[in-house]
Amino acid sequence: MRFNKLLLIFFIFSVGTRVSAQTWVVPDDQKGVVASFKFTPDMQKQGEQIYVKNCQSCHGQMGKDNWAKLTPPPGDLSKEKAQVQTDGELFYRITAGKVPMPEFRNILAEDDRWWVIAYIRSFNPKYVQPNPVAKAAFTGRIVTLAMQYSDPMKKIVVSATEQLKEGQTGPAAGVEVMLYVKRYFGSMQVGDIKTTNAKGEVMFEFPADLPGNKDGFVEVTARVNDPKSVMKTTPANAALAIGAKTDKPSLTDTRAWWSVRSQAPIWILLTYTLSVIIVWGFILYIVYSIMKIRKLSKG
Amino acid sequence: MTMDENKLTFDKITADLTHHIRINKGFLLWMGFLTVSLLVCLYAYSLQLRNGLGVAGIRDYVTWGMYLANFVFFVAASLIGMLISAVLGLIGMKWLTPITRIAETIAVAFAAVAGLVIVSDMGRPERLAYVFLYGRPQSPILWDVTVITTYFVLSLLLLFLPLIADMAIIHRKVPTLPSWLKPVYKFLSLNFTNHPEQNKIINRSIRILLILLIPAALSIHTVTSWLFAVTSRAGWDSTVFGPYFVSGAFVAGSAAVIIAMFFFRKNYKLENYLTDMHFNNMGKVLATVSLVYLYFNINEFLVPGYKLKHADAIHLQELFAGKDAILFWIVQLGGLIIPILFLLFRRFRNPMPLMLISAAVMIAAWFKRYLIVVPTQEHPFLPIQHVPQNFVHYTPTLIETLITIAPFILVLIIITLISKFFPVIPLHETAVEKGVDHVKFD
Repeated sequence: MRFNKLLLIFFIFSVGTRVSAQTWVVPDDQKGVVASFKFTPDMQKQGEQIYVKNCQSCHGQMGKDNWAKLTPPPGDLSKEKAQVQTDGELFYRITAGKVPMPEFRNILAEDDRWWVIAYIRSFNPKYVQPNPVAKAAFTGRIVTLAMQYSDPMKKIVVSATEQLKEGQTGPAAGVEVMLYVKRYFGSMQVGDIKTTNAKGEVMFEFPADLPGNKDGFVEVTARVNDPKSVMKTTPANAALAIGAKTDKPSLTDTRAWWSVRSQAPIWILLTYTLSVIIVWGFILYIVYSIMKIRKLSKG
Repeated sequence: MTMDENKLTFDKITADLTHHIRINKGFLLWMGFLTVSLLVCLYAYSLQLRNGLGVAGIRDYVTWGMYLANFVFFVAASLIGMLISAVLGLIGMKWLTPITRIAETIAVAFAAVAGLVIVSDMGRPERLAYVFLYGRPQSPILWDVTVITTYFVLSLLLLFLPLIADMAIIHRKVPTLPSWLKPVYKFLSLNFTNHPEQNKIINRSIRILLILLIPAALSIHTVTSWLFAVTSRAGWDSTVFGPYFVSGAFVAGSAAVIIAMFFFRKNYKLENYLTDMHFNNMGKVLATVSLVYLYFNINEFLVPGYKLKHADAIHLQELFAGKDAILFWIVQLGGLIIPILFLLFRRFRNPMPLMLISAAVMIAAWFKRYLIVVPTQEHPFLPIQHVPQNFVHYTPTLIETLITIAPFILVLIIITLISKFFPVIPLHETAVEKGVDHVKFD
């Protein structure tokens, strides 16, 4: 037994050192990153809402040390371990994540992430925000998409406009556009990537048999294909009545194997309930008989 | 026979079967050892409760590790009560009388602990009641907890009913019974006076229980197999999984009974009651159920092996010649084929060699469950992307191992307590069978 305990102690020790050895290094060039604006009480309030939705389930309520029991422990962010880090380190960790901490790169906008940091810092009275550094002016193309359905052509027309100098706008030619339609588990691409013409326009054929909701509506999104993120783009969304009208009951509307409890098939309910009642009926009968044994001794 | 001779024989049987009912040094030492071992394992469990299931080796690929293999094993071992008492007993095999209580004790101990084993796999054990509160009647998980609870209660009643008469005898005639236990035995013996009506109720109740036990026992292990077989994963997607599990359960259970018989006979000096004939016959039972299990094994591997659907091919390759091959062949040869060959010979059905064979079968039976549960999960149909390496291959941790050992210690504690404070061999029944049931109760 002593040997077992020794082994156990050894094991706990080895796990402990292994976890601490997996340090999470923030790249040097990220440590000095600062926000582009001064934190305000308003931002802290916004940050709190984002924190409650996205962070609290693991890190717990700020200052209450009630973080989730995970390995490695998430820790309370109001405490020293988090507060000694630079804003850049916090921003990098939120942005990049590291299992089991999720990455928020695509979940929270950049400003949202800074607001969360503003909220976290509000628990540190000694914190002084480093001077904000304005982001370098953007020099790439700024493209906005719009979409409409052309009934006579039976096509979706996407038009791209871009900002020109001195607040003017004009058609954006040579922009790659992708069309998506919302499906049950995500978005499905419709057709291939197409490039806008000199008028900034591109047309997509939409399959007539694609199922929509019961009124035939489908949610369509047009996005700019910009894998290297060299542009600032705004997608276009629209709900268009161009799908096939479909009125299928939800999978959990009818009684079935796979459905929720209240939609269990009758025959399963009957078989299960009857089996339980019959067998436990006999069991109760036997227990009752056993009670009778005691009374019979007088006879 | 004169009254005197009868009285003498009855007293002799009583003395033979109850002389071990006392608290002695050996018992205290053994229980002390078990308790300390259990505490070490419970400490490991407290670490899991505090830090979560991450302390075990189970990850997103293999979510059912040793805990689930352990669960299947415990349900399997408990099935033997049904085979010995119900199937063979109802057929009318008289030689079984001295073995029935051993089989029932094993059934009760393993069934009671099986429920706890499943809790060891729960990250939030305090939500156990949710299975009943929110369980779906369509789910085999709800069926499983229902039938295991039912089987445990049936087995407990089946253990208790023949004990009523025995306890009536013990609290009157066994001087070594600790005095504080006397009122308990008196109460539990329900004023049994060998009244014909009382015997009639007991016999009828036992008969009902034996009949109910057969479908209940078949259900628990069939439903346990469905937890796997209702998925379409390679290695689990099988229509023979029910009988495959049930026959495998009889193998593990028979081996457990033989091991228990061997140690009770030696420690409690029961050589006149658990004779070589009983071991010989149990050896034949073990050989028979092993042959049936071998038959299902051939079905389970040959048919998918012939078709070699893509996922099955990967799975079988790993078992036959890949990562799990060494364990697989040790289990199949050492736990099934070689034991069958040995058991064909009379001399290997003597107590000592039979116990050794049973021990090998029992150990192989546990690893067999491991091979059923784990390898399938290492080959998911849709591999997860960007996972850490330790998600892909399952390696049990020490904490997990200790938590897996804990139920075995619990089973030993339950079996020790039952066998220590009650006759291992049904006392009243043996007396009746030997024709000396003129027991007078005052």
